[in-house]
Parts: sequence; structure tokens; C-alpha cells
Amino acid sequence: MKNFFKKLIPLAMVVFMVIAISSCGQKNGSSSVDPINYRLKWLFNISSAGDLWADVNGHFQRQGLTVNIKPGGPERDAIRELELGRAHFGVASADQVIRAVSKGSPVVVLVQLFQINPLQWIYRPQHVTIESPEDLTSKNIGITFGGNDETIMRALLSKYQIGENEVNFFSVRYDYTPFYKGDVDLWPIYRNAQAVIIGKRLQEANDPIAFFDPHSAGIRFVANSVVTTQKMLKDHPETVKKFTQALVSAWIEAMDPTNTEKVIEAVHHFDPDTSPEIIVEQLKITRDLTIPFGDFEKGGQFFGKIDLAAWKETENMMLNQQLIHAPVNIEQYLNVWD
Amino acid sequence: MLHRRLYQFFIVYGIGICSLFSIKYILNLSDYVIPSPIEVWLTAVDVFMRYSVNVLDTLSVAIIGHVLSIFMAIVVGIIARLTTGIGTLIKIAAFNIQAYPIVAVAPIIFILLGDGLASRLLIASMICYFPLLLSILGILTQPVSDIEHFFQMTGRMTWQLEVKIRIFENISKLIMVITGSATLAMVGTIVAEFIAANAGIGYTIRIALYQSDLAKILVALFIIGISTSIYLVCLEWMGHMLQKKWEG
Repeated sequence: MKNFFKKLIPLAMVVFMVIAISSCGQKNGSSSVDPINYRLKWLFNISSAGDLWADVNGHFQRQGLTVNIKPGGPERDAIRELELGRAHFGVASADQVIRAVSKGSPVVVLVQLFQINPLQWIYRPQHVTIESPEDLTSKNIGITFGGNDETIMRALLSKYQIGENEVNFFSVRYDYTPFYKGDVDLWPIYRNAQAVIIGKRLQEANDPIAFFDPHSAGIRFVANSVVTTQKMLKDHPETVKKFTQALVSAWIEAMDPTNTEKVIEAVHHFDPDTSPEIIVEQLKITRDLTIPFGDFEKGGQFFGKIDLAAWKETENMMLNQQLIHAPVNIEQYLNVWD
Repeated sequence: MLHRRLYQFFIVYGIGICSLFSIKYILNLSDYVIPSPIEVWLTAVDVFMRYSVNVLDTLSVAIIGHVLSIFMAIVVGIIARLTTGIGTLIKIAAFNIQAYPIVAVAPIIFILLGDGLASRLLIASMICYFPLLLSILGILTQPVSDIEHFFQMTGRMTWQLEVKIRIFENISKLIMVITGSATLAMVGTIVAEFIAANAGIGYTIRIALYQSDLAKILVALFIIGISTSIYLVCLEWMGHMLQKKWEG
């Protein structure tokens, strides 16, 4: 029996490794990048409007690319998939990028999708008054421990010299019941996505809502960006350039108010659980968060701009909160296209 | 018994972690995808005590949930062994309800009971209850004809005696089933904590996942493995003692 186990252990190790390595797929350095896999950060919704628009309107095909857009989710990490060769491009939040870089991941940021982080805190003005960050004192504030909302809120409290013992943190997940019940005063929410749905529900119940926006309070924490690997950029610069151009042009078209109806149709096709009435509201807010440079005619061309100062600020916040142990000089990993 | 269990666990964990490191170095992956051995070690030094407390928290809920589900399964099993309508209904309900994925039901439980102890306990109990019930039903509905026939013929058969005979005759199987379901109770508690609770090792793993920190998860898995092994050994030992006592 002992001999059997002695033989079985190395055999099991070899089988496990063969399965694991083969499941890792092709590495990015392989000669072919067709089809291209593009892993989003979240499920198909308004935050991927431009990506979906590119798919529906043949932006990638016109550049001679075949792109599979794959939805993300809570357990999906685009950067890991890039390294494992399962994806060629992906969407990741700035904190994910900075964490990955701090651990030696060869990741490069191509496009910054959101100029203003859509993460805000919803509250009921009938129950609490928030006119300035100082009003957060003694409030029950929902945060996702370990999430980027925790980093943002801690940075905000630090900036306004509010002690963490002066507020009550409440651990949140996907269930909004504690907020509905009034156990929590402020609940973190994506302004352009769930906020519209939850807001509509509360307003229908004659319960007015308002939002506390950390960006307005001077906290610039970068949200989603399109990333790839340094190897991909080095080995296939043309593919990267074509992909980026296709994606940026698609996003600009998708944010163009003249295309509103078609964009709603495209998003609703991929996200059938969200009604077109909700998507139209979500789209307006997404436009303001991705192109906050005045009206679309003037600002549209700046879509995707990498906000270096905001990236550095994000890195500093993570450093101050010891989420990374040393500076990563994030500017070295931001690929600025002319 | 304990050292054998732990030894087996160390082998399995060792194979797993060595394979991970091998993949990391063969594919030249960064520490973000798979942490280096040094990072895992440093993380272990940093979080071991805190995570051990969290695992004990989870284990205590799992044990209470497990005991509750054993008790419930035996009670329901005794009722369901009857060939009446109630017995049949319970059997059908048990088969049907266990088909529901608990992760789909869990959010409803959390809405109703909040994210405190009650929800974790209920989910832990539910996950190990139905497989336990089905096994106990199998044991209690199977007559031990040779022995039962004697008592039936002599008119001394009562339902208590019938249950005792069937349990006694299947005691090894029953101990095995109870021991096996202990891991389910642990899994159930961790799943509950992972979904919505705000305590325990499942919650800690959730936070580590948000931070993309695989090193913390590997440390958590190590402590969970050791704790579960110790609990299983305790159950096996109690079962062994019970069996020895019954068999005189």
C-alpha cells in the first residue's frame, strides 16, 4: 500500500501539472493573436457600452481583427487572464493594475475608460444631510472591506482629517437590504449602473435619493482602464494599435448623443434584464463620467485620455494605506498614444 | 489517528502548493497570478494567528450547525421511516429540496435573517442536513429482518426498539456518514461567510479575493485543512468510543 502511494504521488503531480499547464492556453508570445480575447471587468452592462458597440458595428472587423468580448464578473481578473494567455486585452480597475504592477505583473494601460470614477455613495436626504465631507462624521457608511470603495473612503476621511473612529463602517455586499431598512446611511454604488435602478425603485416609493461623490470632494481614484501585457505590446504593436483605435472610436460613437437609440438597443441586446428606460438614464451618466470635458462635440475626442495625475494620486492612496509596500512609478506602465 | 489525518492533509496540500509553484516558474508568471514561496511564508507569518481565530470562529459555527443537522436528520428520519403518507412526503421533499443549489437560496436567507450568526448556522445546517437525512433514511427504512422478526413475533416490537436495532446494526455506516457530513458543514459555513456574513474565514477569504491576494487564500486553506482534519479525527474517535461501548 505504501509503495502504491509512493508511485501515486509523483504521478498525480505530473497529471495535475499537465492539466494545469495545458489549461493555461497559449501564451501571448505565440505567433498568432487571432481571435483576440478581450475580457471585461464586469458583466455586460452600460459600463461596457463602447465595447459592445464596437462588436455590434464591426469596428474590430474594419481593422482586420476578430475579437471575442467576454464578460467579467466578481471572480474574474483580466490581468491574471492576460498573464495566463487566456486573454489578449482586458479591463481592470486602477487598484488592480497597481497591485499587479507591484507584484511584477507585466501589464500596460492603454486606455482609461472613465475620467471620473463612477463609484459614489447613495443616501437618503430625508434621513441624512451630507453637504460636505465633514458631514460624514458619526454616519453609518457602507464599504466593501478589501474593495476599492474602502480605499477611496479611507483616503477621503484622511484628506478631511476625519478619524476612522468618528464614523461607523458597515460591511456591504450585493444585498441592499440594510440600506433600504435604514441601518446604513451611505451605501457604495456605481453611479452609472445600479444607482439608476436602485434610485428609480426608491423614487417610486417616494423616497428621494442623493449621491455623495468622492471625486467632487477631491479624491481622484482611477476606475476602469483597458490593459494588455508588455509582451503583447512589444510583439504585436500593430495589433495593439488597431485594437485601441477600434475601441476608442467605438466608445466615442457610443457616447455620441446622436447614436443614443442605437446604443440603448445594443446594450439591451447584451443586458436584457435592464430595461431601455433604465439604460437611457445610465447612458447619460456614463457619458458624463467618460467625457467630462464639456459637451460631446468638444470633449468627445478626448475619450480614453490617461489622466497621469489621477493615476499617481491613486498610487499614493494605495501606498499610504499600505495596500502596496513601495512606490511602483505607475507612469512607466501607462501607454500614452499620440 | 490524528497524525495519520494530518500527514495525509500535508501530502495533499504539499502536492497542491508545489504544483502551483511549478506552474508559476514554468510559465514565468508574476507574483500577482501566483505568489512566490517567500511571499506565502511572509503572509503566513503575518496573518496566521488572525486567520486561525477566524477559522476557529467558522469551525465553531460549523460544529453547531452539524450537531443541529444530525439531530434534525435523525428526528425526521425516524418519522419518515413510516410507510404512511407523511413518511413518503418527507422522503420526496428531502430528495427535491437537496436539488436546490444553496448559493441561490443563501441570499434570501441573508435578507430574512441578516448577516449574523443565524444565517451562517442555517446555511451550514442546510448543506449537510439533506445528504445526512438521505443516508439516515436509507438506514432507518431498511429492516433488519432477522432480529426484527423475533420481536414482532413475540409482540414486543416498539418504534423505539425498531430504531435502536436499525441504528445498532448500521452503526459503522452511520458514523461514516456523520463524519463525512462534517466537511459539508464546514463547506456550508464558509460558503455562507463568503456570500454575505461579516465574520469567519469565508469572509476573510472574500476580502483577500477583493485584494487579489492569493497568498492569504493559500494560508487560509492550510489552516482550514488542519482544523477540518482535527474535527474529523474527533468525530471518528467519538464514533469509535460509542461503537466500543455499544458492543460491550
